[in-house]
This record gives sequence, structure tokens and C-alpha cells, in this order.
Amino acid sequence: MSGELLFFAICFIALALILLVRVIAGPTIADRAIAADCVEVVVDAALILFSLISGRSIFLDIALVTAVLGFIGTTLIGRYLGGEL
Amino acid sequence: MKIVIDVFIAIGLFFALAGTIGMLRMPDFFCRMQSSTNIATLGILGVVIGGIIYALGFLGDPSMAVKIGIIGIFNLLANPIASHALMRGAYIHKKKPVDELEVDKLGEDLVEEDE
Amino acid sequence: MKKLNAASFAAVFILGYLFWLLITGQIIAIFSGTASGQILIAGVVVCAVVAFFSAGFFIHEKAFHLLNPMRLVMFLGYCICIFPIELIKANVVMAVRALSPKLDIKPGIVKVPVDLKSEYAQAMLANSITLTPGTVTVDIAEDTEEDGRTYFYIHWIEVETEEPEEAGEKIKGTMERALRRVWE
Repeated sequence: MSGELLFFAICFIALALILLVRVIAGPTIADRAIAADCVEVVVDAALILFSLISGRSIFLDIALVTAVLGFIGTTLIGRYLGGEL
Repeated sequence: MKIVIDVFIAIGLFFALAGTIGMLRMPDFFCRMQSSTNIATLGILGVVIGGIIYALGFLGDPSMAVKIGIIGIFNLLANPIASHALMRGAYIHKKKPVDELEVDKLGEDLVEEDE
Repeated sequence: MKKLNAASFAAVFILGYLFWLLITGQIIAIFSGTASGQILIAGVVVCAVVAFFSAGFFIHEKAFHLLNPMRLVMFLGYCICIFPIELIKANVVMAVRALSPKLDIKPGIVKVPVDLKSEYAQAMLANSITLTPGTVTVDIAEDTEEDGRTYFYIHWIEVETEEPEEAGEKIKGTMERALRRVWE
């Protein structure tokens, strides 16, 4: 069972690496911001799977912290671009 | 039981893959934003549901299941706010009306207001 | 800082304390009788401070509007039944659109009237629209139009019609009717 979970987790990490292409190539700053947000969400999913594989809930705390930080960062960049900060 | 978990996580992986391909293929920023929603909703929800079943059924650890549920709910609550803020910021940042869009009612209204 | 009233303070405090119990794992410890008193008391102090500073920003209108059991049932029905169906439908359409070899998109921003008065209902509808792939709420025009209605500006990836009423029915018809039953 954990072999399949490991496979899925590696697939999610691969998706995160593919999304880094958009972070590097994105023509505008907003493209980079949304791609980074997606990387954060995909890494969240992978962290959930890793915590299931190892049976330790410390990964879930890390996933929660990355979710909060990604939300704050994206909102801040959006507000800054809109000139409302 | 194992099959159900696998199916849920595979659904999540499929939608995350579709969102990633959309992110790479879409022509402009606003369409990329739509694909990113695909990852943040069903992509993570499939993993969350599968993870809750796994934590309850195989690990027997309800506190882990609760934490996974919190991550899923938090993502669902926080993602639209971040998307909306970024969309609005990027829209205001551009020149109006934006020429990549076929229809742009907001730009027309904003131009009317300025005049 | 906005003016603090007791109802909104209580609502934010209860919500924060529930979140504290969930995230520290105490809610399971309470059921099994092994809850730690120190963690529970620390949660009361932290939640009181947080609620004191942030209640004014979160809740302006009726704080315990949802405590009516009828409304609570319909709220849960919206969260569990109506919204996920819309979400899955839109997700499948969007995934097929992203994976199909010919990228048939026609992006645009349409203006859509909304007949919800309550702040919570408007926020919930805007968030639901943003969460459905294919539509994102860009801006909300409130009290600026001459006919006194609220308008949403929605970015739509496949603009089927520019007519405001028709576009509104296609984007948010089911969700708006369900939300009106919950909040009004």
C-alpha cells in the first residue's frame, strides 16, 4: 500500500517541478505569483501523502504552515500590484 | 478499501495534472488563473479525502484525519480570496481595456468613469 | 479599529476556540477523557486576545444568524450537496478544455447582476464563483449603479453570451437561489 502512495507522492513532486517552468518563464509578475501559489498547493498534497507513508503527523503541521504562508504571500502580491497596500 | 483510496488520490492527481498542463498551455494570465483553480479544488480535495480514509482505516489515528481535514478546508477557504486579490491587482496593473480579452465590461466602465 | 460589540466577540471567540481544539488534537482527547487542562486554558487566553482585536473586522451584521436550525440545515446542504456538484461539473469541463488538442477559449469579463442583500451571502457567492474553475470574480460594484443593484464583474473563460441576466443564470443560477434560501 505505501508503495502506491510513494508513487503518487513522487508524481505530485514532479508536477511541482513542471510548474517551476512557469515560475521561471512567466512574462509578468502575476504569472509568477500564481504559479508559485500552485507549487505550494501541489507540495501540500505531496506532504499529506508523505505523512501518511511515514505515519508521522509532523508533515501535516508543515503542510498547514505552507498553506498559510502561500495564502498570505499571494494576497500581499495581489494587493501590492493593485496599489491598495 | 485500498482501491477506494487509490481512486480518490488518482482523481486528485488527474486534476492536478490537467491544471498543470493548463498552466503551461494557456495564452494569457487570466486564463492561467482559471487553470490554477483546477489544482486548488479537486486536485487537493481528492488527496484530502483519500488521506482521511487512509488515516482512519489503516493508521487508526483520528487526530491525523482531523488535521488533514483542516488543511483541505483551509485551502478551500483561502484560495478564492488569494485568487481574487491577485486577479484584481493584475487587472488594475494592466492597461485598460485589456486587449487579450474578447469582452471587457469592467474596462469599459472604468474608462467611462475616468472621462 | 471598528467598534467592538459582544455578539461578534462571542462568535469569533467560539470559532477560534473550536479551531484551537481541532488543531491541537484536544477534541479527540476530550472524548477519550485525557484532555490536558493547561492547553485548554491557554486556548481560552489566546482566543480572547485574538477575538478582541479582530472581531470588528470579521463580523458587522447579525452574528448568530446561522443558529436557526432550518438555516443551518440548508447551509450544510449547500456545502455538502449543491456546491460540490457545481464544482465537479465545472472541474471536468475545465480539465477537458485544458487537455483537448485545440484550445477553444474565448476569455472575457462580463457584468452580472446579483440580487442578494446580505454581506455574508455576497461574499459566499463571490467565493463560490471564484472556486468554480472557469469563472473568477474580478470586482464588485456596490451602490455605484443608478438602479441600486449590486453587480459582479466576472472573468469567464468561454463567453457564451454578453447579456447580463442570461450570463448570470448560466454562471450562478443554482448557487444564488440556494444562498438566498440560506441567508434571507
